[in-house]
Parts: sequence; structure tokens; C-alpha cells
Amino acid sequence: MALRELSSLEKCLGLKKPNKYSTQGERKVPVLQNNNGPAVVGLVTIASSLVRDAKKTELLGNTAEQRAVVQQWLEYRVTRLDSCTKDEVKVILKELNHYLEDKVYLAGNSFTLADVLMYYGIHYIIMELAVQEKEKYLNVTRWFDHIQHYPGVRHHLPPVVVLRNRVYPSGQH
Amino acid sequence: MAAGTLYTYAENWRAYKAQIAAQYSGARLKVASSPPAFTFGQTNRSPAFLNNFPLGKVPAYQGDDGFCLFESNAIAHYLSNDALRGSTPQASAQVLQWVSFADSEIIPPASAWVFPTLGIMQFNKQATEQAKEEVKRVLTVLNQHLNTRTFLVGERVSLADIAVACSLLWLYKQVLEPAFRQPYPNVNRWFVTCINQPQFKAILGEVKLCEKMAQFDAKKFAESQPKKEAPAKKEKGGKDAGKPQQQQEKKEKKKEEKKPAPAAEEMDECEAALASEPKTKDPFAHLPKSSFILDEFKRKYSNEDTLSVALPYFWENLDREGYSIWYGEYRFPDELAMTFMSCNLITGMFQRLDKLRKNAFASVILFGTNNASSISGIWVFRGQELAFPLSEDWQIDYESYNWRKLDVESEECKTMVKEYFAWEGEFKHVGKPFNQGKIFK
Repeated sequence: MALRELSSLEKCLGLKKPNKYSTQGERKVPVLQNNNGPAVVGLVTIASSLVRDAKKTELLGNTAEQRAVVQQWLEYRVTRLDSCTKDEVKVILKELNHYLEDKVYLAGNSFTLADVLMYYGIHYIIMELAVQEKEKYLNVTRWFDHIQHYPGVRHHLPPVVVLRNRVYPSGQH
Repeated sequence: MAAGTLYTYAENWRAYKAQIAAQYSGARLKVASSPPAFTFGQTNRSPAFLNNFPLGKVPAYQGDDGFCLFESNAIAHYLSNDALRGSTPQASAQVLQWVSFADSEIIPPASAWVFPTLGIMQFNKQATEQAKEEVKRVLTVLNQHLNTRTFLVGERVSLADIAVACSLLWLYKQVLEPAFRQPYPNVNRWFVTCINQPQFKAILGEVKLCEKMAQFDAKKFAESQPKKEAPAKKEKGGKDAGKPQQQQEKKEKKKEEKKPAPAAEEMDECEAALASEPKTKDPFAHLPKSSFILDEFKRKYSNEDTLSVALPYFWENLDREGYSIWYGEYRFPDELAMTFMSCNLITGMFQRLDKLRKNAFASVILFGTNNASSISGIWVFRGQELAFPLSEDWQIDYESYNWRKLDVESEECKTMVKEYFAWEGEFKHVGKPFNQGKIFK
């Protein structure tokens, strides 16, 4: 799972030469073995280093504040999203929905690595949502749809259909 | 790609549409918004201007190839790329829909509400209240649409977003205080995202959202009115004169109240008044008058041959005490990628330095090609010090450059001035070929 994600990220970043990854431990933590130097371990670490390789450091944030928020969401992805139980899914969706009410992107006013990795990580959850639930978490759905249409992001993942006209308009908002 | 000049008065939201579109498309747009290139009320009434633009209104666009356009939406459309215009028939029709929506639904109530707060239109309580209701209705429509959408059309910024955001600009700056805008979170989210895109920011600068709803500015309004009555008042004097005058004033007031929602023609008068707002104080006021008339040199430079006329004029008339010549070199050439982006960097800087134009002239050149370029320029300023620290408005870009004051009498200075002003020569100190130049005047 994480390995396909990293190879999609490479394409998204426009990196020409694919890297070889292995995994370690029970939880299959991805490992990137560089020719020179020690191995890079962990999804976020590898993703950040790929961004630097591609010289697209704006994806890690342009200001100190934006960089911090990007890191916050990368951490959220691996510590909360990746290890959440079925019951926690709803809490996460609710949190995100509230957070995204006044935001287009997760960090600052531009597209960052946080959007990409959160999109990859939450895809399987959104896939399974019923139309009614997608409307309930409207801000998440809108963000998700925007990111999946962002050029070059959606590689290994199937597109999720999002209705623009609400079917259950009696809900919130 | 389109290249040309946009005539407008400074800070014209209609011109912003075209300028932002050009930021996205990379169209090479020079902005003529201050003398000598453009004096509002003079240039646009001149026969030459009227010949190209019969309405005499701005913004007006003239391409380097002579192609002329008036009407801000048409200009913005022309300067856009396909992504902004909408690349399918459906998308481009939707873009047109929102551009028209901005003009016919947003602008009339926005003007009726905002103009009195800027002191460029008489206040009329009824009209303002009616306008507020109209604005609420429009914001509700937008809020509904943006509930499920990130941008107005498709998943990218389009001309629709540019036009609608620009038409809401004054509302958000002047009157949409937090409590008023709170019911429209989707519009707020979208607006804040738009104005923070680098292409918007390059033109609009930092936009500060309204904190407290501005009210009618009676003093400013009085100042902006032609002073017809004032001398009469003095002549009459005394107590007797007071009465008829009051009556007269009352009558006038009534007349104004009777007027229905202001027509489009009046709006432009209002905007004209807005454009002629009193200027802030001159940062160069502390310097003694100079014999060198920069505008005259600029005219020579623009209209006549650089090597045979403009340069000799420059050296003959330059006031060595009143002016200094500087070499400015961009400090981060490694970060320059596509040339059109680098050009935007230069023109963006010029636009942010708009109010410096009267006291400076510069030729800034982009050398090299994509991903291997550098930017440097020759600047002529009033005074002997670097001009940028004199005004807060000018300090955004200059720290990204290394500045070196040139010895006016030196050979180096003569050569550089010649090469930079003429856009030709060896440019020995650069080591990259000339790509394109931009003139700040």
C-alpha cells in the first residue's frame, strides 16, 4: 500500500527514475535504500526526501507557519489516519470536515505534500462512503474532489464520483 | 502570446482583472497608470487616445502589434490562456456566465453601498439599505454554489474567479465586516484562497479584510465635489444670505434623494473621482529641486532613438547631485525557472513600485534561458541614497537584490547605462545572452 503510494508520489513529483523500496517490521514500514548513505525509513521521511529530490520544496510549505502545518498533517496521517479503527473513522471525518470549512488546502493557501498524503491515506475511506455520508462531510468531499483533480496526483487510485448537486439538501449548512 | 500596454488609473479593480489574467497566462503586459505614460483625464481625452478608444474610458488595451481593445472583460479575456477561459464549450460558457454575473448582479449594489463610504457619492440611506439586501442575496447565491466547489468553474482558478473576486474586492475591504460575512463561509474561504494565490497577490498586494463596516465619509465627499458654491458664499456673507442658501441646499438634497439607483454612467464619474483622490505625501519632499527633468528624458527615451538621442540627452542633462545611478542584481538566480515567471517577477516589482515612477527610471533585463537565467538592471533615482527605504510601499522586493551605487563618471557606468538602456551590447559582467528587457518609467 505505502509502496504504491510512494511510486505514485514519484510520478506526481515528476521524478523520472523510480526508486526501489523495501519494508521492515510487522507494520511494513517502507524503507528507501540510497546508494550513498544510510537508509531512509518511514513514509513521511521518504516522501519529504522525494520532494527535496524533485526540487519542489514549496510542497513542504513556503513560510515557517505553513511548513509547521504541513508537518502537523503528515504526522496526523501516520499516527491517526493510518492506525484508526472503524469507529474512529467517523471522528476523523468530523474533525477534518470542521477544519476544512474555511480552507481549500490543508496547509496555507496552496497545495502541499500534506494534501497529497492525506488524499492517498483517506482514499479508501471516501471510496466506501454512501452519497448521504459524502454530503454529511461536505467540506472533506469538496477538498477530496479538488485534490483528486489536481494534475498528476491520482495515479494508482480510482476516481471517486462526487455529486455537485446535493441530493439531501435538508442536512447541515 | 499577447504583449501590450494597459492604460488605466492606479488601483482600478477593472484593470486588475486583466493584470491578474496576464499573471496567469504570462502575457507581457505593461501598465501605463501614471504620468508621463498616462494622466487620467488628459491622456484619455486626447484625440490620439479617442481615435483608438472612442469612449475615452479606461482600462484600455493596446497591443504592441497595434491591436486595440476597450471593456475590461474583453481585455482580460484576450490576455487569458485557455485554462482561464474554460477549455470546453461548457466551461467557457460558465466562465462567461460568472463574468456577466459579476457585472450585472454584484457591481451595481456593491457600488451603491461602497462609494458613499469612500466619499465619492452622496449617501442615501434607502439606497444603501437596498444595496445591502442585494449584496446578501448575491452572497447567498455564491455561498450555495461554492458549498460543493473549490473554484467557480472546474477545479482550477478561471477568469470567473478573477472577475467575481475583483468585483467583491471593495466590498470585502470596506464594508463586509466579520459579522456581516459570517453567514457566507464558503464565499469567504474561496475569496481568501483567491486573493492569496501568488498571481493575485502580485497585483493586489496584501488585501486586508474589513474589520468594521465603513460609513459615509461626508468630509471626503464634500472635498471631492467641484467648488461651485464656495465663492458665492463668501460674497454674500451676513445673516440674510444664510436662509436662501439653506433652502437651496435642501432642494438639492431632495433632488438627490429622488434619484433612483445610480446609473452606470454615474458610476464612472464616481470612479473618476476615486482616481483623483489626493495623493499621499511625497517621500522625496526633503530633496531640493533638480534641474534634470526625468519626464522629458522618459519622453525622449520612449519616442526617439536611444543611442543617438535619448542617451546624449541623458548625459548632457543629468543632475549629478540630484540623482544617482545604481546597479541592482537579483540575489537568487538559481531559483529562476521559466522565463515568463522571471518576467512576472520583474513586472510585479515594477507594479509594486508604482508610486516611485515619478522619481525613477530603470531598465531591468532578464538574461539567459529557462532554468539558467539572471536578472539585473540599471536604476536612476532621485537623491543619493537608495530610494526604497523611503516608503513602506517600496520595500517588498528590493532586499532580493544586491545594490551597488555606480560612479557616474566612470567608464563602467557609462557602458552599463548604454547597454542597459539600449538593450544591446556585450553585457560582459553577465555572461549570459540578452533574453528580454523591462523598462520602469
